[in-house]
Amino acid sequence: MKLSDTLEYITVSFTADRFKTFMSSLGIIIGVLSIVVMLSMGEGLYSGVFGEFQGMNLDVINVVPGTWSQDENGPPNFRSTEEPAKLSDKDVDALKGVAGVKSAAPRTSAQVVISSRGRNASATVNGISPEEELELKGKVEEGRFLTDSDYRAVVIGKGVAEDLFRMKVSPGNKLRLYYDDRSMDFKVVGVQGDEAEISIARYDPNMEIYVTHDAMKDLLGRESYNYQQIEVTVDDPTQAETVAARIREALKRYHKDEAFSAVTSRSMLQSLESILAMIKYVLGGIAAVSLVVGGIGISNVMMLTVKERIKEIGVMKAIGATRRDIQRQYLLEAAMLGMTSSLIGIALGAGISVVIGKLAGLPSLVTWQSVAVGLLFGTLATTIAGVYPASRAAKLDPIEALRAE
Amino acid sequence: MAKSAGPGGEDGLNAAQTADDVVVLEKIEKSFRVGESWVSVLKGIDLAIARGEFVALMGPSGSGKSTLMNIVGCLDKPTSGRYLLLGRDVSSLSEDELARVRRKELGFIFQTFNLIGRVSVLKNVEMPMVLCEMPKDQRRARALELLENVGLAHRVDYSPINLSGGERQRVAIARALANDPDIIIADEPTGNLDLKSSDEVMRIMNHLNQEGRTIIMVTHNPEITEHCSRVIRLRDGKIVEDAP
Ligand SMILES: Nc1ncnc2c1ncn2[C@@H]1O[C@H](COP(=O)(O)OP(=O)(O)OP(=O)(O)O)[C@@H](O)[C@H]1O
Ligand SMILES: [Mg+2]
Repeated sequence: MKLSDTLEYITVSFTADRFKTFMSSLGIIIGVLSIVVMLSMGEGLYSGVFGEFQGMNLDVINVVPGTWSQDENGPPNFRSTEEPAKLSDKDVDALKGVAGVKSAAPRTSAQVVISSRGRNASATVNGISPEEELELKGKVEEGRFLTDSDYRAVVIGKGVAEDLFRMKVSPGNKLRLYYDDRSMDFKVVGVQGDEAEISIARYDPNMEIYVTHDAMKDLLGRESYNYQQIEVTVDDPTQAETVAARIREALKRYHKDEAFSAVTSRSMLQSLESILAMIKYVLGGIAAVSLVVGGIGISNVMMLTVKERIKEIGVMKAIGATRRDIQRQYLLEAAMLGMTSSLIGIALGAGISVVIGKLAGLPSLVTWQSVAVGLLFGTLATTIAGVYPASRAAKLDPIEALRAE
Repeated sequence: MAKSAGPGGEDGLNAAQTADDVVVLEKIEKSFRVGESWVSVLKGIDLAIARGEFVALMGPSGSGKSTLMNIVGCLDKPTSGRYLLLGRDVSSLSEDELARVRRKELGFIFQTFNLIGRVSVLKNVEMPMVLCEMPKDQRRARALELLENVGLAHRVDYSPINLSGGERQRVAIARALANDPDIIIADEPTGNLDLKSSDEVMRIMNHLNQEGRTIIMVTHNPEITEHCSRVIRLRDGKIVEDAP
């Protein structure tokens, strides 16, 4: 019997009993669906998250007040009742003294209202030490970057310049910043170039504005001013963890009963990675279990089908079908059942991935790879499930089969 | 007993066999296992059937007619003895080799028709040719022709389920002829049919015999045997009468 004829013959059985066919495929559909969702989300998260991290310098060390729970490199800090450390110029100076540290850039940010030509909008203002912000400094597109001696000068992100107000804000324009009941006038000295948005953190660098710490202190009120974060760069990126450990030692002196953390971006990325991996394993487990359950379901249904068609199999054999003809027919029937279920699973999985991606604001990529893997595993599971029923059918004795009712 | 091979000695097994014998059975025995014991159903059948014969096989129920037909039809293997089909020893062939013999050399007609209800009349008739991997348009043309010959050209797209018994049996005859076999094996082909359909089927069978096909047919109806060139009676697993 030719393959094309076997396939044509099989299609008859599909159209004949759609409901049974569909019910029996449910397990496979779910299995393939979770494979596709798993791979799509995984792919989306990886390419999305890590794509965004790619442009970043992973070897910076962030010194922040408080305990960062996933700080794997230090001993777990159980004194969680500790006050968060107040970071100041003392810390910056100490950091600069630590071996291997290239720069230490203190930052403090706040949400402010800015107004331009009588119109208001909200933005994040960052107090910075201009000479330490080498990376930001390199990204000026128009005008100039801040200098340490600037006071009422502001550098704005491209989004603030172009999208926040009806009219473009350019170097030379005036901006007024409001914080609580205080307000200060600034002159725009520079506009930053376009930067990629980090969507998972909902952080758009184009909507930031920068002033010097001197100005920031006055805007926020000098009494309570301290740094929210000190970003440290290192001479040798491979030594980032060692330097972070040294930093913890060095700053301990100033913050005996206060909590602070020094975390490399890489270690943050690693813990993110392990979360992603866990999601992947869970989905992979669901996929594997449903494929096995689905396979058993298909196997049962195929056994029933063989039983139902026992007479037909007898007839086929009587008029000259070989074992191989029968075996192939039922194996292909299982495989086709698997393939259709897999395609349904892929379609549903792709849909779900897109919806989840939209809801969670995560990038979700349905790749050809995930479609291929879903199709492969779905079809493989059903084909394996079909082996036993098919060989049972092939081994039937024609006379006994013909006698069956 | 002119045509049946006598229980000739070990040296003369082929003594009574002529070149034109299509079926030669020598000392065929068949036993079935029932529980712990064996039941002997065929107890030494010696039989030769020549090309073009129309043989009726009769005998009481349980005498082993169907068992014998299954062996002649290569659906079953004898427990012992030798079977030459068209000069070829088929007693030792494997199951798949027997399947190939069935599809090429033999046509089956059953009492219960045994059509495949899931596919059309046309597809049923095409099936043996499908198994032989005959090209599509060729087998379709042949199936249509065969159905026309049995007067069912207007039923090709029907499901066999919607046909009368007589029509079903005519479809089965068309199917049996699909690969143009020399030998037709029919086990009570009229057993489930009314008189009119029965006559129609026998008319076709007769015609097939006149075309030169060898027909071996089990029947309980003595009237039907008038078409036949030879009547063999079986009793308790043995041939008790073999007459023209
Ligand atoms: N597979 C089997 N296992 C055990 N006994 C069997 C088997 N097949 C047939 N027999 C027995 O062999 C005997 C002959 O059966 P067979 O079907 O050949 O009879 P038959 O002559 O065709 O009868 P009928 O006219 O009723 O069709 C019966 O007694 C039957 O019970
Ligand atoms: Mg019988």
